[in-house]
Amino acid sequence: MESPEVPSRNLLAVDGLTLDYATVDGRARVLENVSLHIEKGEIVGIVGESGSGKTTLGLAIIGLLDSPPADIIKGSIAFEGTDMRSLNPAELTRYRGTAIGMVFQESLAALNPVYKTETQLRESIEVLQRAQKLHLTAGAEAEMMVEILKDLRLDKPEVVLKKYPHELSGGMRQRISIAMAIVEKPRLLILDEVTTGLDVYVQNRILTILKDLNKRTGTTMILITHDLTVASQICDRLCVMYAGRVMEEGKAENVLNNSRHPYTQKLMAAIPQGFVDSPPLPAPTGEAPDLRRLPAGCKFHPRCPFVMPKCKETEPPIFEAPDGARVACWLEEKK
Amino acid sequence: MSNIVEADGLTVTFRARGTSSLLFERSSKTINAVDDVSFQVREGETFGLAGETGSGKSTIARVLVGLYKPRAGSITLLGREVNFRKKADVTYLRRNIGIVFQDPVGSLNPRLKVSEILKEALVATKEFDRKDYDKRINEIIDQVGLRKSAIKAYPRELSGGEKQRVSLARSLVVPKKLLVLDEPTSSLDVSIQAQVLNTLRNLKSELSLSILFITHDINVIKYMSDSLGILYYGKLVEVGRTYDVVTNSKHPYTVKLMANVPRLQRVEVKQELLSEQGPASSGCIYSKICPSVFDKCVEPPPMYNLGSDQLPLAICMRKLISRTRS
Repeated sequence: MESPEVPSRNLLAVDGLTLDYATVDGRARVLENVSLHIEKGEIVGIVGESGSGKTTLGLAIIGLLDSPPADIIKGSIAFEGTDMRSLNPAELTRYRGTAIGMVFQESLAALNPVYKTETQLRESIEVLQRAQKLHLTAGAEAEMMVEILKDLRLDKPEVVLKKYPHELSGGMRQRISIAMAIVEKPRLLILDEVTTGLDVYVQNRILTILKDLNKRTGTTMILITHDLTVASQICDRLCVMYAGRVMEEGKAENVLNNSRHPYTQKLMAAIPQGFVDSPPLPAPTGEAPDLRRLPAGCKFHPRCPFVMPKCKETEPPIFEAPDGARVACWLEEKK
Repeated sequence: MSNIVEADGLTVTFRARGTSSLLFERSSKTINAVDDVSFQVREGETFGLAGETGSGKSTIARVLVGLYKPRAGSITLLGREVNFRKKADVTYLRRNIGIVFQDPVGSLNPRLKVSEILKEALVATKEFDRKDYDKRINEIIDQVGLRKSAIKAYPRELSGGEKQRVSLARSLVVPKKLLVLDEPTSSLDVSIQAQVLNTLRNLKSELSLSILFITHDINVIKYMSDSLGILYYGKLVEVGRTYDVVTNSKHPYTVKLMANVPRLQRVEVKQELLSEQGPASSGCIYSKICPSVFDKCVEPPPMYNLGSDQLPLAICMRKLISRTRS
């Protein structure tokens, strides 16, 4: 509503979102002027270190932030043209699950330990029935559950349905949480670090499943991760965040092969590629900044190898590159 | 070059929870978490162990510090075979082998300051004089790349990377012959992981450490280790110099593993599944899903030597046949 210039093909339009957390020792600016437009059918990766605001952005979109401590200063979140911030809690509940779904990192915490898989899945199916005013028979429900587990390539779905979360492996549990989200057929699925903590092979399997789901059903996805290799596998577009700001955003190929922001370059260089005799990794020195005590100017400048006097004084605006990439770095100004 | 640690035919067995057994009945089913595994860690080198979840990587790490007892096979540390039944021998293991676990939160006592955590390790061995404690703690804090102010901090005040450095300092504050690193960077951000890996490589050359590095991340293990072993359901299917194992894999499982290494590019992720099926109950454990399975695979394959060097070994029937033919 606040952004009439947004074309209607955007499923989600986040504009100028600025958000604070009120903490005991001061307010922390967790998101600063974050804009992100997502089209139908896209997979968008949000990449950044711990504390860069990726998860907060995800929670803000689905309206799960507690206020206090969260305090949205300005900006808008429009989903299918509806301003999510104007909805009351009851209306928001109707959006959650069936319109926007979310899967969290901790699959063990996301599942109820005293319920079998089938009970957990049935809860989700009930939400779907309420939303679409459906009345499924018990048989149809069971069929739907087996179907969804088969889609997620779980072996012997009938057996898995009868198991409690603690009887399943990490990869299986994560797929159950994904099943709970996708069974409600959300139009936007937010995946928060869904493969973190799983080994590479299980990770590959889950990414394959997600990509496959996106192709078959056209579900739009936001993949939140700290691991650029994970995001690079399946994302169409990448958005690199640092200290609550979007540093670089563009087509995945461009961000990976022709990254413009020094932070993106550093993130990529941190991934080991060579053998034992290769030179040390050119990792960014230092740690992610304390959001309560951010430096002046560009927030990345203390760790940046190309720092200029200007960077220490003024925060760079977002420059638009010819290929459509958006980069918040003074180096872009000269080009 | 001499060997720091030799594992010979190491087998660790766990009692399996029977699915149909009665509540108080003890299940007699057992699982070999580690099955007839032999490897050597050479002096001043890093030996990597890679494999999927459940392949027995961590079990081997725990045997090396005496947390599990092997059912068969032996561990020889600096030429002395360890008798796991003798308490003195287990102490001998722990005095010479340090370990860092994956979870930095769970492995540090939340009620102790970093200085106290490190002091505990010093007190336990009596290798240093009490008056030298502070000097030694300062020294090790410096070596692992922790800021000085961290000495007085509690674990909760430190970031994930710093906590992992404290774990590292604790295992090295009393000098060790071998450092066992069990997924030391898996819970860290990529950029922090890079910093920790760089520190580990520096420490290795500075202190001429020998390292057993365990991880599922091939990119990391390739960067860290001189030799590499690949585990599949408790069996070591291939051992060799890292470069050979990665670029010229002999075992079909290793080939598949290497194909699954994530790279920084948008690829069509493969539909192929790895070990969802579980191991075969007889013959070659990989035969159930091996793409190049043939009639010989019903027999358990022997370990065979690929070259003149002592190290490169792989167990696969097809390789054996093709070798005797050529």
